[in-house]
Amino acid sequence: MTMTKDMAALNDWYVVGISADVRPAAPRCTRLLGQDILVTRKDDGTVAVTLEGGDEDGRAARAEEHYGFIWTTFGAPNRGIFPLAEAFEPDRRVVTCGTVDVGASGLRLVENFLDMAHFPFVHTDILGALDKPEVEQYQAEIRADVDEVWATNCRFWQPLAAAASKGGQMSHYVYRVVTPFNVLLYKTCPEAPDRFDVIALFSQPVEADRSIAYPLMVVVDSISTDEDIVMFQQKIFLQDRIILENQRPRTLPLDPRAEIPTRADLSSVAYRRWLKTKALRYGSYEYEEA
Amino acid sequence: MAIILYNHDLLADAYKVRLLLSLLGMDFERRTVGILPGKGNDAPHYREINPAGTVPMLVEGDIVLTRPEAMLVHIAERHDKGGRWLPADPVARAHVFEWLAFAAGELTATEAARLQAMFGLAPSFADAFAVARTAFRLIEGHLVRRSLDGLTFIAADYPTIADIAIFPAVALAADIGIGMEEFPRLLIWARQIHALPGFVTMPGVREVI
Repeated sequence: MTMTKDMAALNDWYVVGISADVRPAAPRCTRLLGQDILVTRKDDGTVAVTLEGGDEDGRAARAEEHYGFIWTTFGAPNRGIFPLAEAFEPDRRVVTCGTVDVGASGLRLVENFLDMAHFPFVHTDILGALDKPEVEQYQAEIRADVDEVWATNCRFWQPLAAAASKGGQMSHYVYRVVTPFNVLLYKTCPEAPDRFDVIALFSQPVEADRSIAYPLMVVVDSISTDEDIVMFQQKIFLQDRIILENQRPRTLPLDPRAEIPTRADLSSVAYRRWLKTKALRYGSYEYEEA
Repeated sequence: MAIILYNHDLLADAYKVRLLLSLLGMDFERRTVGILPGKGNDAPHYREINPAGTVPMLVEGDIVLTRPEAMLVHIAERHDKGGRWLPADPVARAHVFEWLAFAAGELTATEAARLQAMFGLAPSFADAFAVARTAFRLIEGHLVRRSLDGLTFIAADYPTIADIAIFPAVALAADIGIGMEEFPRLLIWARQIHALPGFVTMPGVREVI
């Protein structure tokens, strides 16, 4: 495996580990964009990312810690890690939910995360009910000022919206794609209906068609244990994983004629259009190793 | 005396115990052990009662069990009033033990392959995927021979704990990329398990097949 030459992919930030898991005595060997890397923590508490093998063996890559994760980039991103104000609210729980390996492109993970239509069928009796499958009309747009994709005014009936739920609710959703491989959503909080829980899915593109998924919960929940919150999210994501592993191609086609979108796929259409304007190819069906 | 199951919802071994308890309509207390992620099974209070640190663990009064097949035997023996899940008939009973040993033996490769594929855990088999596939062929062959005698289930002409011990590995095959199109008899058998009153799923096991 060698590092991709896709500049749009190289010039961005990626999660490569959970902060709490990387300790001086416990470094992490992993791979990003086809490049093997070593993630280490020094005795002074700072983290470092070093390239292993390939043309730039031994080079140090930039490393930062945000929201419980270690982030790195091989290139020169034109912006920092996206802001997430909720993570700093004093009564929020910021819970990293482990990692899951998935045999699919990270772009597929983001697209699946944006999709509401699968809730009743994949997350039956949790995020959706079989007798209430309708995706109501919502709006999706590319926001040029922040260079993000947003979907707003999304509504979906959910039997068990969160670990702290006591019954069904009409959940309001806002989706926000912050980088091609990282996405978050804001949804009605069962405990504080005037606020939004934040759920993020960060994906580490190991190779063009292989990913490590890192779910993050930033929630208002005074009842559930950390274990309950993690378990809820892991259960949901493992249901998604079956679908993700069975999609063909494993990469995401950007050509609008390759798949047939419906009205419910508005956010996916905006997302794909945004990827094209960024000239990002890594993880897409159109990508070829240089 | 209430049963306490130290549980993790994503483990096939915990699922087989939950499934039998549900099929018997039994209440039990579940306590989540924080693993995947986490090392909740390394906590001193857990190792004190279960030195091996395995999950699941079943506690009922003075009885502490750490092996899922032993849990199935215990639950059936003590709580199945009908005496069907662990048959008294010596022939069926012998077959149940044979297939319980199989479930605790090479069939564990499927869970090893699954935990490797999903969480990157190192398996204890050189090639867990290959061992898993071979194990599936063995069950398929057994069920084909049974079907020639008009029988559907693993060890008797009705479901036993042998079926429950084997079912999770088969139902979760998609997690390791094994498709049921290779194993038509397994699929027919799995549908029969799905149809049992009290059947429950876990993440990765489809509601409908």
